[in-house]
Amino acid sequence: MKKRFAARAIAVAVTAGLGLALTACGSSSSGGGGDVSSADYTGPKVTISFWNGWTGGAAPVLVPKLIDKFNSEHKNIVVKDVPMEWADIARKMPLAVKAGKGPDVAVGHGDDIATYAAQGLVLKADSIVKSLGYKADDFPEGLLDAGKYNGSQYAVPWSITPLGLYVNKDVLQAAGVDPNSIPQDKDSYLAALEKLKAAGVQGEWVDGYVFTGTFEFESLLWQYGGDLFNKDVSKATFNSDAGVKALTWMTDLIKKGYSPADVAQDGNINALIAGKTAFNWNGVWQTTNTAFDKLKWQAVAVPQIGDEKAVWSSSTHWMFMNNKGQDKNKTAAAATFVKWMNDNSADWPKTGELPAKNSVRDDPKLVQTYPNLKPFLDELPYAHYEPIAPGITTVEATITVAVNEAITGKKDPKQALDDAAAKADTLLKQNKEKYGD
Amino acid sequence: MTDTASIVAPRETGAPRPSRSGRKAGRRPGAPRRTGVAYIFLVPFLILFIVFVLAPAVFGLWISLTNWSPFRATQKFIGLQNYIDLFTPGSATSGDFWQSMAATGIFTLASVPFLLIIPLLIAVLLNQRIRAGSFFRGVFFAPYVLGVAVISVIWKYLLDTQSGIINHLLGMIGLPDNLPWTVDVPWVWVTLAGVTVWWTMGFNTVIILAGLKGISPDLYEAAALDGAGAWRQFISVTLPGLRQVMTFVITITILASANMFGQAFLITKGGPGNTTRTAIMYIADQGLSQNNLAAAAAMSYVLFAFLAIISIINFRLQRERAEKSAS
Repeated sequence: MKKRFAARAIAVAVTAGLGLALTACGSSSSGGGGDVSSADYTGPKVTISFWNGWTGGAAPVLVPKLIDKFNSEHKNIVVKDVPMEWADIARKMPLAVKAGKGPDVAVGHGDDIATYAAQGLVLKADSIVKSLGYKADDFPEGLLDAGKYNGSQYAVPWSITPLGLYVNKDVLQAAGVDPNSIPQDKDSYLAALEKLKAAGVQGEWVDGYVFTGTFEFESLLWQYGGDLFNKDVSKATFNSDAGVKALTWMTDLIKKGYSPADVAQDGNINALIAGKTAFNWNGVWQTTNTAFDKLKWQAVAVPQIGDEKAVWSSSTHWMFMNNKGQDKNKTAAAATFVKWMNDNSADWPKTGELPAKNSVRDDPKLVQTYPNLKPFLDELPYAHYEPIAPGITTVEATITVAVNEAITGKKDPKQALDDAAAKADTLLKQNKEKYGD
Repeated sequence: MTDTASIVAPRETGAPRPSRSGRKAGRRPGAPRRTGVAYIFLVPFLILFIVFVLAPAVFGLWISLTNWSPFRATQKFIGLQNYIDLFTPGSATSGDFWQSMAATGIFTLASVPFLLIIPLLIAVLLNQRIRAGSFFRGVFFAPYVLGVAVISVIWKYLLDTQSGIINHLLGMIGLPDNLPWTVDVPWVWVTLAGVTVWWTMGFNTVIILAGLKGISPDLYEAAALDGAGAWRQFISVTLPGLRQVMTFVITITILASANMFGQAFLITKGGPGNTTRTAIMYIADQGLSQNNLAAAAAMSYVLFAFLAIISIINFRLQRERAEKSAS
């Protein structure tokens, strides 16, 4: 620990020192636009660098293969794959781009785009989207807009990861619940939980962590007609009646004995695999979990508990970086690469993520190859994506604190949400000052 | 005072420990000084120290006096505003910061006594001529070589509320089998302190053991001749003989505990709520994740001030006792 702190302190100090040097001589170019005229780059041979956070699962094998194929098909473009941890990308990107040493293209999470855009790190992509021929209905509803900030397009969709309901069918069978009609509404879900309880099984273990208590809460909040923030993301609204109903539903599961108290992070998915519980709200990424191989399991859409269908989903997007002295040819080549990748993303479900492009997902071969993905595809028309505002991940963290405090019984749901919303409002105000409008 | 500075400052800022040379110099006050040669040998370290410790520290102090943001080309000097914010209830940072300082304080109080007493006892035991002594020394030291991520993941599994083996074992002997070790207070504190003690006590043990080896056997012999039993020998020979070593161990243990980050970050995620979010966790989050570098720098200096004061008190106390026993 001691050494680690030392390393960290040095890193902070050096980063800070570098930052000053760079910002002092760097121009504060903000809001440049990427000008790309066609989907096929025809200029001189360029090498473009591509940053991504794909360090685990199937990606380290799949991505180099895709890039090799792309490079061999395009004589005038060489793509250099630079995978690193997501957290490292977030840390390195601002300084690297300002120094002109950042990537030409990168993949980022939906809730990071505005943060990058507000810092002038990302090129406006309106012209790129146009020249690639992308329209809103090439992607699931709302997804292209999830890359929009302050009226401009900053990102092109790549993948989506909605939440679903994972079911251990053996546990259902043993408790006398028909494993072939998995509950999809509030009443039948409660009935199943009651039957499981009678058989001595706590049917859904709720936790108070980002993975996946917060995702479940947000899904329920939207189902009850609420939203996380107001329209221009200047005020938290997750403490609305809908929010209180959503969080109360979760704490009631514990109160009614459908869930144990004090579930640790990942305690619930592990319990599902161990055959101790029947239901777990979890992300599509769990479809690649090899621990499932020995169970009879199924994933379905999350049940509709509230008044309308809704589900949380995360998304990742392509960003064209605004490096100091960015070479226009490289950006144009990157656009060609992005289009090619989106067109060739049929194998991306191997990584536990859904390809964003409709034409790829709608190909019947996809469901044939990956039958477990069907319910997740069906959820997309009512999926909600992350809010778009600079520095929003900080603010989102207050939601997890509220969920955690309510689940561990520290505060009642309303109190927890009100406190978190007050904190979120302070942080939103701080972000406004920090990033400007 | 120079001793204090040489040990305290590097712990805060990350240089290797220069304490050994400091102590030796103190022990032989009559030795002739060859400063010229000494300085030449010190220059390489001095350069590293200036570049990687002193300069960033001074730069951090300057950052804490500005509204520093990596997104702006120019930074504005705002005086002590960042510090005033920290001491103003209701500002964006003060509530969270002091909560995290309190968490650090609780952890330090809960872990340091055990990190001193247990290693001392183990070291005394290992210092007896027992069979397989070096084997046991290795056993106690082993956890220390593991990284924080490794030990955290292991204990997270062992301490899981429902499926952890610890709760299972407790249940088998008739104790409650649903203790929320990693989820709820006060168990999270037990977990964090317990895991840290298990993990780092080997380091303190080895240092204290080295100290024990340095106590002359003649002293024990003389004490035994005067009719002192084992306990009396421990009080009158062992403890005074360990004074310098213990001063060092106490100081670095307090500083290490006050800088706890990884265990809480990985095992409890700072939960429940933000109860176990330590000062370093909060400072790292503000500075590295949220780019509030100015506020984070100010917090670091407040934390530094606290640790400096504690260390100075510690050294003063030890010195007074040393003077008392010498006279």
